[in-house]
Amino acid sequence: MSSRYAVGDRIRISARYAPGHVRTPFYARGATGHIERVLDTFLDPEREAFGVNAGTETQLYRVRLNQSTLWPDYSGEPADVLELEIFEHWLEPAPESSEQENPS
Amino acid sequence: MSHEHDHAVPHASIDVDLSDGPDYFDVMVRALQELLVDKGLIGAGEVRARLEVLDDIAPSRGAALIARAWTDPAFKQRLLADGSAAVEEFGIDNYDGTRLIVIEQTPEVHNLVVCTLCSCYPRPVLGLPPDWYKSRAYRARAVRDPRGLLREFGTAVPTEVAIRVHDSNANMRYLIMPMRPAGSESMTEAELAALITRDSMIGVTTAKLP
Amino acid sequence: MPVTPDREPANLIAHAPHDVGGQPEGPVSISDHELTPFEKHCHALLDVLAAHKLVNTEEKRRGVEDMGEVIIGGLSYYQRWAVSAAKVLNEKGLVTTEELGRTMIDVRGRLISEDQ
Repeated sequence: MSSRYAVGDRIRISARYAPGHVRTPFYARGATGHIERVLDTFLDPEREAFGVNAGTETQLYRVRLNQSTLWPDYSGEPADVLELEIFEHWLEPAPESSEQENPS
Repeated sequence: MSHEHDHAVPHASIDVDLSDGPDYFDVMVRALQELLVDKGLIGAGEVRARLEVLDDIAPSRGAALIARAWTDPAFKQRLLADGSAAVEEFGIDNYDGTRLIVIEQTPEVHNLVVCTLCSCYPRPVLGLPPDWYKSRAYRARAVRDPRGLLREFGTAVPTEVAIRVHDSNANMRYLIMPMRPAGSESMTEAELAALITRDSMIGVTTAKLP
Repeated sequence: MPVTPDREPANLIAHAPHDVGGQPEGPVSISDHELTPFEKHCHALLDVLAAHKLVNTEEKRRGVEDMGEVIIGGLSYYQRWAVSAAKVLNEKGLVTTEELGRTMIDVRGRLISEDQ
């Protein structure tokens, strides 16, 4: 399986809110960042949670978010970042001319 | 007895009295295990065997790994490049199918690990996580106020040092490699391992001083 | 006593209660405790269940999450695991409510008579 995104790609984490077992934290939904690392493929946890133990291999990535743009009241430093693991079906290309992220 | 008032008089809620005797959840776990063994779904000795393995796993494993990395630059590079492979090379069973990423603290960047969704933790190298790591307060604040949280642990990160928080929310697990303290240059690997605390491998503190 | 949620319905569903990253919280209580025999036993059982894929890790988590905020807050970490395992095994028809209920009575009786 080839990955859709590469290291450095600017992406947006999808802002979807349907009920279910989801490993994309609420705070990250709709956030813009970039791919920090392309990981391996793993079973989709949303399906695993209901006993589907095969056949759902999905590409996982590490995404880097800038803390100052993630939180409205972030009290740390401009260079502070947050990194988390996001499955490919939760990623979209970042909108053009998004001002949400400091260049890294 | 007649009720002289118009309003309903609430009765006490009906609950099971479990105030003495065996704990309800302890009984549940024992009963589940018996049923699973009787049905042949798990082996009779499996849970006992697993208990023994769990008792063996402690943060000393992670400390030994880091101490080796501090003293062996080639191993350090392998550990940073592929944590899972290096751990297996070191003789540790990375039993749970997760992948280990080892991240080193540097003078420019301080790293911190959290699992906001539950309690994901690099168990094969650190054992079981402490209560505070699993607490709602830690999980809520580590991502949003890492500097404030670190101060509560007695760790002051200067403003010129960036903070990098890792939310261990899927299949990766994280082990932080603390910076080797000054004054430790002549220490043996075993002596170095004693400086590397569990909390320093989560990133809430730094390694102990010699 | 009924619980009145203080958030509106869409957010009760869209923002699950276990998903706490960034939520307002006070200082961390920097405490730990040595696991009790029950807790170790529960952890070992769930590890064995995961190895057999009878209750995988995501199923266990989902079982806990589905309990909702009140139950999650009212049970300890390993109490939640125990109940999640029971629910998932029940869903799969591997251990029925009746079987578990009867066996719990047996186990309780045996533990009480062992104590005497």
